[in-house]
Amino acid sequence: MRTRIFSVLCENVAGVMMRVSRCFTRRQINMDSITVGIEPSGLARIIILFKADDKMASFMQRVLMRLEPIVEVQMLEPENSVAREICLFKTRKLGEEEMSEVIRFIQSAGGKVLEIREGSLIGEIGGSHEEVERLLTSLGTERLKEVARSGQVYLSRNSRE
Amino acid sequence: MEEMTGAVALLSALKSEGVRHIFGIPGGAIIPVYDALYEEPSIRHILVRHEQAAAHAADGYARALGKPGVCMATSGPGACNLLTGILNAYMDSSPVIAITGQVPTHLLGTDAFQEADLLSLMLPITKHNFLVKSVEELVEAVRKAFQIAMTGRPGPVHIDLPRDVQLAKAKVKIPAEITRREKVRYDPDPLRVEEAVKLIEGAERPVIFAGGGIIWSGASPELVELAELLGAPVVTSLMGKGSIPENHPLSLGMLGMHGRRAANLAVTECDLLIGVGVRFSDRSTGDARYFAPKAKIIHIDIDPVEIGKLVRTDVSVVGDAKRALAMILKLLKERARRGVRSEWKERIMQMKKEFSPKMDYDDIPIKPQRVIKEIMEALDEDSVVVTEVGQCQMWAAHYYTVRGPRKFISSGGLGTMGFGFPASLGAKIALPEKKVLDVAGDGSFLMNSQELATAVENNIEVVCCIFNNSYLGMVKQWQDLFHGGRRSQTYLGKSPDFVKLAEAYGAWGDRVTRPGEIREKLKEALECGKPAVLDVVIDPEEHVLPMVPAGGKLDQMIVRD
Repeated sequence: MRTRIFSVLCENVAGVMMRVSRCFTRRQINMDSITVGIEPSGLARIIILFKADDKMASFMQRVLMRLEPIVEVQMLEPENSVAREICLFKTRKLGEEEMSEVIRFIQSAGGKVLEIREGSLIGEIGGSHEEVERLLTSLGTERLKEVARSGQVYLSRNSRE
Repeated sequence: MEEMTGAVALLSALKSEGVRHIFGIPGGAIIPVYDALYEEPSIRHILVRHEQAAAHAADGYARALGKPGVCMATSGPGACNLLTGILNAYMDSSPVIAITGQVPTHLLGTDAFQEADLLSLMLPITKHNFLVKSVEELVEAVRKAFQIAMTGRPGPVHIDLPRDVQLAKAKVKIPAEITRREKVRYDPDPLRVEEAVKLIEGAERPVIFAGGGIIWSGASPELVELAELLGAPVVTSLMGKGSIPENHPLSLGMLGMHGRRAANLAVTECDLLIGVGVRFSDRSTGDARYFAPKAKIIHIDIDPVEIGKLVRTDVSVVGDAKRALAMILKLLKERARRGVRSEWKERIMQMKKEFSPKMDYDDIPIKPQRVIKEIMEALDEDSVVVTEVGQCQMWAAHYYTVRGPRKFISSGGLGTMGFGFPASLGAKIALPEKKVLDVAGDGSFLMNSQELATAVENNIEVVCCIFNNSYLGMVKQWQDLFHGGRRSQTYLGKSPDFVKLAEAYGAWGDRVTRPGEIREKLKEALECGKPAVLDVVIDPEEHVLPMVPAGGKLDQMIVRD
């Protein structure tokens, strides 16, 4: 069992997420992450992370391909794809000194300060899933009031026609 | 482009797909479609008495004819009553088109009267489903629905149609009637076929395991040719019954839990198993780890999801069964390394002889085997046998010799009690010139016996032959064999009197208690000119044997004494 990454290209129609996700539910698979976005073509791309052995991963790929609105199911490998996760967070009310420390940290981590209001900061950090985890820990979880994460998106490095 | 209401557009689109029959029941949310049907002479609507029967009838129609069957119901409860029948069709890969009324679009999601979330409910039990929001979408959905239902592995498709869309007017173009749609056939990869042929050439003891895919692909001639070329016996799944005429010398009958001993032993002894159009269900294989333990396995199927799902496969060929078998035959003939494996064929013939099933019992109460024998003699080879589910079904599957494809219709994957009688009505509507007989149990028949009204009102001349043992027989059998004979809640008692029940509906009814009377009464039932119910009182102690216990090994069967 290891983490599998599916990049699923499908028609952007109501219910397509349910069609896809129930295939996993039915086989007792808990997805680690699922994200969806619309491509310029108008098709939707769903990125799904889940744990499975080789047999189950191949089976799930074929199960998804059988769905009517599905155009393509790519199985990505971490070594030939780029991964990214965006994390927005809101801190609790910070003192001046603590605030400067947080801002410096965000900048050094390549993140962004999006808003500061009434002593609370909304910031953005991004990177691989592990990097985001690490940054959040370094930032100090006790400082964080609310965190919203995008889930993981992967893009294949291979140039395909 | 012509302006028409959604209701008229639906019927026009159905007509363009060649639809001649619809099984259904009207209700509030689908009245506009029924209103349009009122003046549509070219579609015959068969009014059933419960929506589940509409789905089963459409399913039986599809299986008998090889074309989609259509059922229709209103929103909410009507549509929900279809669900069991639609799942049944899904499990057995039967092309059923279900059309349901739905609350008006502006009320969707508000818990309106008779609203059910059918997009969600139908989604996991159909190949695809549509919630149609405009007349234009509707025409497109109908076209796609028929295409999806019949392409690749067949299966049911649902169209949910809000009431306001049925009433809305729009200019739409209805395609001309498709008189004969060429089946889209998927060619297998020639490299895989080559690999399969190599295995076949090297095999000493090949067995062919044929399933429903053979029947849907129309590959029976190729199947028989391959069997004869190799001298390889053919075993079938329940869905595959009739894929090879079972009176063919190389036919060993059904495999599996209630399969023929020779079939189960041949699979256990073979060194190559060629599975064609099968999904290796647990009822066929027993414990998959010990299935065909000495064999390499070739799996030919049109649905790539089935490959390697349940049994290990040495060579997989994804594609149309007819094409795949034709390609294999061509290569085998070109090489002509050798044909019939005579030693193996001899062994097969010896097994077949040794384990030929006994049916000529004269006992009172009547033995079910004897009833099957009488049915076989009463029906001609073109007749269609439909079954309910349970012991009666397995007696039919085990003993009845099906003499060609589409002549044996049974609920396999879902095992739906109540399937047989409405499915037999559908089969008879599809093939009015053929005799149709439902092999029923008293428990199963009672689950949709209200359809006697449908049969009588529409004069659908089917014979329902009830194997009456006053039990939920198959459950009772498991209780007897595996639960110390504790027959918890399986005794059904003596009610109803099936003869009076039949007569109350205006059908022919009679009862048989002695084996000598069966022939005469069956003849009478088949020739009475109305729907008929023959209540055959059978031995309640009789089990369906041999039996491979669930999850057991195919060669370890519980046998009769």
